[in-house]
Amino acid sequence: MLPMRVAKRQEPLGYWGSCVVLSVALLLSLLLSAGMLAIRGTPPLEGILTLFRGAFGSPWALEDSILKAIPIYLCALGVAVAFRLKIWNIGAEGQFALGAIGATWVALSFPDWPKFALLPAMAAMACLCGGFWGLIPALLRQKFRANEIIVTLMLNYVAILFLDYLVYGVWKDPASFGFPMTPVFTDGAIVGKIGTSSINWGLAHCILLGLVIWVFFRFTRLGFEVKASGDNVRAARYAGLPYNRLVVLVLVISGALAGWAGFLEASATVHRLQPSIMVGYGYTAIVVAWLARLNPLAIGFAALLLAGLRVGVESLQLDLQVPAAFGGIIEGLVLLTVLAGGLFTHYRLVWRRPG
Amino acid sequence: MAVPLIRLENISKSFGRVRANHQVSLTIEQGRVLALLGENGAGKSTLMSILAGQLQPDSGTIFVDGQPLAITATDKAIEAGIGMVYQHFKLVGALTVAENIFLGRPGGLWLNLRTMQAEVVALAERYGMQVDPAALISDLSMGERQQVEILKLLQRESRVLIFDEPTAVLTPHEADNLFATMRKMTALGKGIVFISHKLEEVMAVADRIAILRRGEIVDTVAAAEVASTAELAERMVGREVLLRVEKSPMEARQIVLKVSDLTTPVLAGVSLELRQGEILALVGVAGNGQKQLVEAICGLHRPAPESVRILGMEWAEFFGRGNRDNTLSYIPEDRQGLATCQGLDLLDNFLLTTRGGFSRGPWLDRRRAAEKIGHLLGEFDIRPADPQAFAWQLSGGNLQKLVLAREFYRRPRLIVAEQPTQGLDIAAAEDVWNLLLKAREAAGVLVVTGDLGEAFALADRIGVMYNGRIVALFASDDEEMVALIPQMMAGLAAAD
Repeated sequence: MLPMRVAKRQEPLGYWGSCVVLSVALLLSLLLSAGMLAIRGTPPLEGILTLFRGAFGSPWALEDSILKAIPIYLCALGVAVAFRLKIWNIGAEGQFALGAIGATWVALSFPDWPKFALLPAMAAMACLCGGFWGLIPALLRQKFRANEIIVTLMLNYVAILFLDYLVYGVWKDPASFGFPMTPVFTDGAIVGKIGTSSINWGLAHCILLGLVIWVFFRFTRLGFEVKASGDNVRAARYAGLPYNRLVVLVLVISGALAGWAGFLEASATVHRLQPSIMVGYGYTAIVVAWLARLNPLAIGFAALLLAGLRVGVESLQLDLQVPAAFGGIIEGLVLLTVLAGGLFTHYRLVWRRPG
Repeated sequence: MAVPLIRLENISKSFGRVRANHQVSLTIEQGRVLALLGENGAGKSTLMSILAGQLQPDSGTIFVDGQPLAITATDKAIEAGIGMVYQHFKLVGALTVAENIFLGRPGGLWLNLRTMQAEVVALAERYGMQVDPAALISDLSMGERQQVEILKLLQRESRVLIFDEPTAVLTPHEADNLFATMRKMTALGKGIVFISHKLEEVMAVADRIAILRRGEIVDTVAAAEVASTAELAERMVGREVLLRVEKSPMEARQIVLKVSDLTTPVLAGVSLELRQGEILALVGVAGNGQKQLVEAICGLHRPAPESVRILGMEWAEFFGRGNRDNTLSYIPEDRQGLATCQGLDLLDNFLLTTRGGFSRGPWLDRRRAAEKIGHLLGEFDIRPADPQAFAWQLSGGNLQKLVLAREFYRRPRLIVAEQPTQGLDIAAAEDVWNLLLKAREAAGVLVVTGDLGEAFALADRIGVMYNGRIVALFASDDEEMVALIPQMMAGLAAAD
């Protein structure tokens, strides 16, 4: 028998306790990753250092990480809202695509509008389209009791194929030499960069929207109702909370935020719509939301961490010939160790006394 | 006389200040059915969990075959030949009957499906059961699933089988089959413990009957010596009032609740009226429709139109309104699963039903709510008195006080309280009773209870529920009717 047993906590794990658990979990995932590098003959310490240097070691690397963290952050913020209600939206990828499509439609349809009108219109359209993509699973769940996990997942493929259809077909730039992409947006449709850095104003959007979500859960009645219903559906019915309406609400908010991310990616990063913007930010967002325990501020750090991982793996690939898939492996390991660490929020290990 | 299979001696178990079991002594004999009779919360489950190795007694000894044995884990109980048939079956729906029966049994790496199935069929035949060993559990009826549970235990050669309210999920025909199987089992030398609060069934199958009340065995009788189910009912609910609470006379005023001819699959035409200023206690053995009645009144299940009126409003109209302050407060039996969110702190749990009063537009005034709950925690002596403590940290009694504090804060005009003192120690129960009596000044109170003492202490009027109807409704000082309560609970005398 193991020399330890698991006992339920009488007192909640405090703030510092959570920090310790999280750090240990992250360290453990790094150790496991290093072990995997060692197995394939790459010097593990050098590998991990290369990874970090590649992600955060230079101003250029850091900027690149932040750029990638922006869409991840918004998608993660979105899924976190749905997760609060225990509605498992894994469709951020598709909602992201719809947002990009919506914003592009506005950008291509009204190219002559001035920036101050065009950008808000693009953002609004992106939210509308992303929100609509979130509304579909909500309604299917309510009308036909369809499982939202399956529906949101399947809608991702629908959305991506729809995006492909547009850029290969009706929206294809005639001057692109056959490449699947729309024409470049006009200046008015492009979210600019902050000062002389390569970071765009999307970062400010993230901070603002993060604040809005934080305020929503902290100070509004609806936010409280989402939180309470997520903890106990039966108590929600007991207290007369409008559970069904809350499901629609969180899925629409969730989709709208992912849609906003799609708008930023199309407008600020590639300045057009092209299939290469679909690189799985919506899935990484799920990992990020869990890592951060659905807390808006923590989502920021987790998003930066996993964005850094994506950037760092590129250096690992170039310098040490480690396959790109290694990034996905580390991402998975981080999620597994952190989830396993979640055990300690409600339980602790107790040494068995002999006899 | 042969050594009993199992003997419990002076088993006691407390949770905090609540005595779940106190000095319980029982014997389970070979070839006999022992019925354990008691209301919800009387301590039956705790006692059986101790036998099954899930809980450890604070004191007392368990003898198996005359030898003392510490059942420190569930596998120890299985080893000792003790098996439980739980109310909620522990079966894997996607596996077959045979696979479920052999699940968790030691053996090699390979399964021999054919031998497993043959063995199941042979075992079932011995006990007069008919099962298809290759059928999937999810395709079986409740009665058939229960047979699988029983076969699981028989396959492990359990000698003592404990049935926890086994007929609750069965049709009458299936229940008869079960009793036949139980007789077969006792004929083959098994000992059986039959937990129930259905009086007729207990009379039908038991050899001996032990009655548990507030954690203590109050009576053990041979079934042959019990004259009627009414006698059992009387022994089960007791009549002594543990505490006297001051009850001042009060004039009943306007009607706050009117139920007229409410009929559901369980309820058969229930009608009642409740006025501000009075407490109406509904007594009866659990499972006679109390739960369905309360859920219809409190908005969890939609009743037929025009059958429930609350504060003069039709049900749908009442529950369609937003803010429910100053109207209906529901104090459910299930404090943990229904009345509170275990993962939220006390402030959020307080806001659960009072949020309407702390809202301004879309905003929720947490600071004002925190002030309020700070006072209430002190006033109701809830521990820990920390609004940031989580609900799961509170003991049963403190959680109940939190629910009461919250619901009384809303100044209701109609209160529905279900088993309000179940699982509470005497002091806490007295507090709750005084609170309910005080609330009566401004509200009509409907108390659903299985404890007659509680009904006598609180009620102005008493209604008796049996088989989905209110068989009698009378003033609590009507001695003649009060004397008839046990008969009425057993369905014998319906005085209309």
